[in-house]
Amino acid sequence: MSLWHRVAWHCKNNPKIELWIMWWAMFCFYQLFGIVFALMTRVMPPPKPWWDHARIVQWFNDNHYGLLWGFGIIFLVAGITASMNALIAYSMTRMSVSRVFSYIYLAIYSLSTLPGMLLTAILLTVGALRPDRDPAIISWIYDAAFTGFVGTMGVFFIGTSVWMLAVLLDKNRVFPLWFGYLNICNLLTEIVVAPMWIFKEGPFAWNGVIAFWVDTLVFVVYTIAFITLLRRMIVREDFGDGPLPELEQRA
Amino acid sequence: MSNGTALNAARRVPGQIDIWYFVLIEAIIFSSYFITYMLYRVWESPLFLQSQVHLSQNFGALNTVILLVSSWLVAQAVQAAREQKFDAAQKLVMMTMACGVLFIISKIFEWSSKIHQGFEFSTNRFFSFYYFLTGIHVLHVLIGFIFLGVVIYQLRSPQRRSITVIESGAIFWHMVDFLWVIIFALLYVMR
Repeated sequence: MSLWHRVAWHCKNNPKIELWIMWWAMFCFYQLFGIVFALMTRVMPPPKPWWDHARIVQWFNDNHYGLLWGFGIIFLVAGITASMNALIAYSMTRMSVSRVFSYIYLAIYSLSTLPGMLLTAILLTVGALRPDRDPAIISWIYDAAFTGFVGTMGVFFIGTSVWMLAVLLDKNRVFPLWFGYLNICNLLTEIVVAPMWIFKEGPFAWNGVIAFWVDTLVFVVYTIAFITLLRRMIVREDFGDGPLPELEQRA
Repeated sequence: MSNGTALNAARRVPGQIDIWYFVLIEAIIFSSYFITYMLYRVWESPLFLQSQVHLSQNFGALNTVILLVSSWLVAQAVQAAREQKFDAAQKLVMMTMACGVLFIISKIFEWSSKIHQGFEFSTNRFFSFYYFLTGIHVLHVLIGFIFLGVVIYQLRSPQRRSITVIESGAIFWHMVDFLWVIIFALLYVMR
């Protein structure tokens, strides 16, 4: 059977097709996010917080096209984050816990795209498109973009806490307990990052080894874990109410 | 068959395997903080030595004793739960929490005294590390209260009383204690 026939068959007959579309949308979004933020716009790892006006203006000039094309893509596809939020909220509705958890999570993470991604994209795009402005203003935009990107973690802290609680309280074993604990590691990074508002250099600055590198490493491990576990959840899904069957049981 | 079962019971790892994964990840994260601290200590040795003088080793030692006692108490609580002495286990866990509260009060006292002396978070690199490491550790003590709260919840009703969950709570508390011993050695003792 050709690939197109297989896709057509799954679209017609696979009861999990909607969940798989959401999962693939999330998977593709994270690949794109990595390419845009690390390779195209050079926002990750972040440039130096202590640069003077001239060096900041030069950074905008050096990355002019990367910023415009990269964030152009992000403005186009930022809405895909909704598929990820929806899938995570779905995972909570499959748990034995109250649906209130998934509603809170959806509400919080609908807000999070703004400080976590869009605000930085808007500010840096403005900086790239207005090179004729006063370098002091360009520097302010630069500071606002990176402090916003690395430092506004409160919404993520609460959102992660909600998911953690749901996983630890769940009796349907939708996710393993260790993932509930891994949420604690992730939510602590949202606090560890706070000193970056004070420091312009060193381990606690926005590009520092503790505030950025260790936190980002934990976030990457956490993201890989939840993408893998959501895939596993879809494979295990039986559309029932009780405990989610393990893969071995399904086999 | 019974020999095999006995052997399995003897070899059983205490607590949930998931809590051990958690402890492992936490150990890796804290190791990265400790390595960073050590590197800056080597790079800015005179500043670190001058600043360390302002910390009281006696105070740090008192903190350590409080947490070591709390670790011993929670170990006794697990042993009591294994021997079905659930009331005694509950009291021991509450005493463990009391030690945790004492630890936090002493830390707040120490922080406020340092701030009054003019040593704040942004005073210099050493004090940044001092407030960061002790602060993130106090956060773990607070999370430890939640774990111990779950242990008490387990001990209260005969319908629950899962030894695995009780052991898991104790394992987290031991980790909190173990991390403090390293922080104490790095910040207060190593000069």
